[in-house]
Formats: sequence, structure tokens, C-alpha cells
Amino acid sequence: MVTLSPTTHNSGAPASASGMNLASLWWWLAWWLRPLVKWVLRRTTGLCELQRICYGEVSGAPRVKGVERSLASSRHPQLRQLVAHLDDVAARRCFTGANERQLLQRAVSAVLVAKRINPTVHCGFVAAFGKCVEQIWGYRQLAAEVELLRQTPFDSADASHERRLLDLWRSLRPDEPLQGRISKQWQDIGFQGDDPKTDFRGMGLLGLENLLFFASEHRAPAHHVLAHSMHATAGYCFAIVGINITHMAWSMLRDGSAQTYFYNTSRSLPTLRLFHCFYSYLFYEFDRFWAEAKPTNIMEFSTVKGQFERRVRVALSDPRTQFRVTLAVHHV
Amino acid sequence: MGLLSILRKFTSAPERELRLLLLGLDNAGKTTILKILASEDITSITPTAGFNIKSVISDGFKLNVWDIGGQRKIRPYWKNYFENTDVLIYVVDSADKKRLEETGIELYELLSDDKLHNVPVLVYANKQDLPDSLSASDLAQALGLPTIKDRSWQIQACTASEGTGVREGMEWVCKSIKKK
Repeated sequence: MVTLSPTTHNSGAPASASGMNLASLWWWLAWWLRPLVKWVLRRTTGLCELQRICYGEVSGAPRVKGVERSLASSRHPQLRQLVAHLDDVAARRCFTGANERQLLQRAVSAVLVAKRINPTVHCGFVAAFGKCVEQIWGYRQLAAEVELLRQTPFDSADASHERRLLDLWRSLRPDEPLQGRISKQWQDIGFQGDDPKTDFRGMGLLGLENLLFFASEHRAPAHHVLAHSMHATAGYCFAIVGINITHMAWSMLRDGSAQTYFYNTSRSLPTLRLFHCFYSYLFYEFDRFWAEAKPTNIMEFSTVKGQFERRVRVALSDPRTQFRVTLAVHHV
Repeated sequence: MGLLSILRKFTSAPERELRLLLLGLDNAGKTTILKILASEDITSITPTAGFNIKSVISDGFKLNVWDIGGQRKIRPYWKNYFENTDVLIYVVDSADKKRLEETGIELYELLSDDKLHNVPVLVYANKQDLPDSLSASDLAQALGLPTIKDRSWQIQACTASEGTGVREGMEWVCKSIKKK
């Protein structure tokens, strides 16, 4: 007997009206009271909100998120203009190299002027605020870059796509040559059929690049996970599950929940490489979680994946969570 | 309201639950059809490991749609989901001629199962947008659907990625439920 476990309810009851009213009341109060509170604090501490965050919060996600919130709710025309400009640059993926340094300088001086801050007295603020701007718009730029890769479908006619696919095979199966481009052997690394090209689906090239990075840059952990995936009962399809993990990593990046990871691990501009590291971390941890859940077969995948995702999201919701970046293989 | 709200007018019992089973080979488009039914985004779909279920509630009418992964390794588990199925929806990639025989064999195994005895079957001839895809009537012939005598069946051409044809198929599902 199968029990019903609905995962989603579409067109269900609308959000309760009283909840909506309470939320909008709170929003109006915050809108009117915030400037007053800020004014009082500014008078008493002699510091603007951005300074209080940069001096008061520890570096990493707590500070960067604080600055991000403060800038997002700022009503100062110059700051609003700055935010819009940086958003535009990040969406066009131009927040790099000399352009980045120039933009950082402009952002810092805009705040110094707008908030009448003396840079020689507050050189600590200048450095800390610059770092925050780099992280915030580096993250947004990365989200745009990742989205572009995801929207690029895997194309067998593109030699570079094909080369990466064959690299994936060689990284996972270094001692076993592939008999042909179309081969049942692909199923040994967890693709569905004889040709992986249709398995990337909505994750496009991003799914392949994630798998390839994990397999080639974290070779030992990847082989460890691949070996686990072949377990007679608790096994799963390595590549297919990997593509589902790409979806998880991408959705966390997109909705901002992954900020905690990136702000706490990145020392400079967050790059695609760091996204691949985030993916590798998720895949490796999922494998462990799956084994601990002791599933009877692959049909439990969506349930276990859901539990795993909730656990990761809880960890990410605390800005102080630190993530282990290097993957260590535990031999059992 | 999702596409399934049309089901409402075919039922008088407001609390009635229906169990729809979506099956077919891998890459046929089952999850895309599921997402279309639930009015969800279809641009970020991944291969189904295990199964997906969506319960679509429309004015007190509850529809439980089970989308089970189609790859060969998962097919042995299909039978665990047969019980109490109201309608079987079988999805075929009309352009995948190489696996036409394979999908036909899987369909006939389903139709010969006791637990699916008399269960109406809707076949979606999906991916009509692809060049070289079989038309719904050619696919029906190729699969031997006209020889089915023990239940009502229907073939419906569709392009789930564009959302076309899915609605028409669901209208047939409603009618066959009403007849029962």
C-alpha cells in the first residue's frame, strides 16, 4: 500500500488575508521608523549604518549580508544609483580586472561623499566596505555566469562539448577505454542510456561542467562517491544524481541561500571555480547522507534528497556557518 | 488555476481523489508534462531519479499525478505504483524511432498486468515539434493500439515543451473518468 505524500499543492488556499495585512503593516512601520532609528543611532554613535555594520559584524557573511541589506534599503539617490549601476555591470559580467578595481573605488568614494566619512580616520571602513562590495556584486555576476552556462544546451555538434564529455569518462574511468561514443558503458558512470547527450536536460552545459570539475579536481572523493553509487541495493546513478545536485546548487545560488557559503569561503571575487567547489561539497555530502539514510532502493531518492536539501538550507540560513572546502575521503 | 481545473466540471463529488500514473521510457517527456499540469517552470528539468509526485488541488478536487523515472534500471519498480490507478498516461518520444519497439514492449507489459486491468490508457505522442517525428495516427499503428479491446484508450499528439496538446489529452482523461 502506497501512502500519499504530496510534495506540492498547487492552486491551493491563498495566503491568509490577515497574514498579508500584518506583513504590510510591519512593512509600513519599518519604512517610516527606519530613518528615525538610523538618525538616533547616527547621532549617538557618530557612525552611519554602513560603518556600524563594517565595524560591528565579523568579516564574512554576517558583515557582507548586513551591508547588502543596508544598501538595498537605502533611499539616498547617489547610493541607489550606485546599486543600479553595479547590478547592471554584474548582469553583463563586466565586474572583472581593471574595471572591477575602478568600480570598487567609485563605490567607496560614493559612500564616503554621501555619508560624509573621513577616509583617513576610517581607513578600516574603506577596506572592509570595498571587500563587501566585491563579494556582493561578484556573487551576482557569478549567478549570471552560471545561468548562461545552464542555458547552453549540450550540443553533440560542438567539439568542445564532446571533448568535455570524453574528459569526464577519462577522469572517472582512467583504466577503461570507451569502446565508442555511443556505448552502454556510459551507464557504468550513471547515465541513463547509451548516449549521455539527452541526460543534461535543463541543466545544460552546467551539469557537465559540474560533474567534470568534481571528477577531475576532486578525483579521490569522486571515485569514492562513484564506488558508493554502485552498491547493490543502496546504489544510485552517479551522473543522473549529479545532474540533480547541479539543480540544487543552481537553485540555492539563484535564490541567494548560497550566499553564506560564498561570503564565508571567498577571499576575493567569487568565481565559477568556487561554484564548482560548492557543487562538489554538496555531492560529496549528499553521498554520505544517502548512505546514512539507509534507503531500500533508488525510489527513495526524492525523499532523501528533500531531507538533505532542507538540512543544507538550515545550515546556510545561519550566516556564521563555515563550510569545509577540502574534501577528505574517509575510508571505511 | 492550472490546466486541470477543467477536470472540475466532470465531477460532482468535491473530495474525490484521482490517481494518475505517468510512465514511459527515459527522455519521453513525463516530467515536463507533470510540470505543465502543475503550471510550473519547465526550463530547469533534470532526469528523474526515482519518482516525482504532484498533487494538484482545484476547487476541492484532488489529483495525484505520479511521474516515475523511465530509465531501464528503474522500470522494475514501476509495478509498485500500479495499485488503485485511475488512468494510465503513457508518454512516447515520437521522434525516437530507434526505441519505438522498446517503448511498445514496455507498454504491452503494462497493459497485460492484472493490477492495471481495465484501466483507461492515454498515450501522448510527444515532441511533435521535432523534425522526423511520427504523427499520432502513425504512432498508434506502430504501437498496435487499435488492437486494444479490454479498455478505453486514446492517442494525443502533443509538444509538452511548448505546452500544446496536453490539455486535449486531459480532457479525454476527464471523459473516461466520468464514464466509469
